[in-house]
Amino acid sequence: MKKKKIIRKVETPKIKTQESYMLNREFQFIQELRDLILKSSPAEKEEITTRLNQIGRIKLAIIAGYFLDRNNPQNAPTDLLVVTDDLDRRKFGNFLKYLEAETGGEVRFVVMEKDEFNYRLSMFDRFVRVLLEGPHEKLINKLGV
Amino acid sequence: MSKRILETLFNSRARVRLLRFLFRNYPQPFTIQEMVSRLQEDRQTIKKEVDQFMQIGLLVKTKK
Repeated sequence: MKKKKIIRKVETPKIKTQESYMLNREFQFIQELRDLILKSSPAEKEEITTRLNQIGRIKLAIIAGYFLDRNNPQNAPTDLLVVTDDLDRRKFGNFLKYLEAETGGEVRFVVMEKDEFNYRLSMFDRFVRVLLEGPHEKLINKLGV
Repeated sequence: MSKRILETLFNSRARVRLLRFLFRNYPQPFTIQEMVSRLQEDRQTIKKEVDQFMQIGLLVKTKK
């Protein structure tokens, strides 16, 4: 009687060790390169404005925080304020992805409708006041703020 | 301010984006896939930049 040979393939569970990469702090010019890269302005304002205009009818767009003061973005209550009555969420989502790709990090943003913005403005709302009194730049301004 | 200074100096938008991303998120390590999705550049481009940075010792490999 023949012995049956049983060959069994033993599958070793695959352990996913993903290779990842990070900056080498021993690199010769790491500090100089860092200063150069982080000092430069991410995403030209003109390009941001152009892309904002493609999203739809935006009444007011203000940049502050990270876009103007890279070292102390927390001084501003937001990085981006957009006032619009009809927001195309998909387009706006793509726009945010673009901004995050350019800045290499998160972008704080606030979207509100025109009525809410005007109400907050007339109420001396803290958020709006701090934003408008601090360093900021209006990329689109159809409200005459 | 004139346009796109770094992109012109470095001759590549992807390269500048990658550097800015890595510096801003330092010391966090990232896989190629993570960089691709965060930077909206194609895989081939990112892979090429990472390989070049590895060659000059700007990047190091780590295990996640």
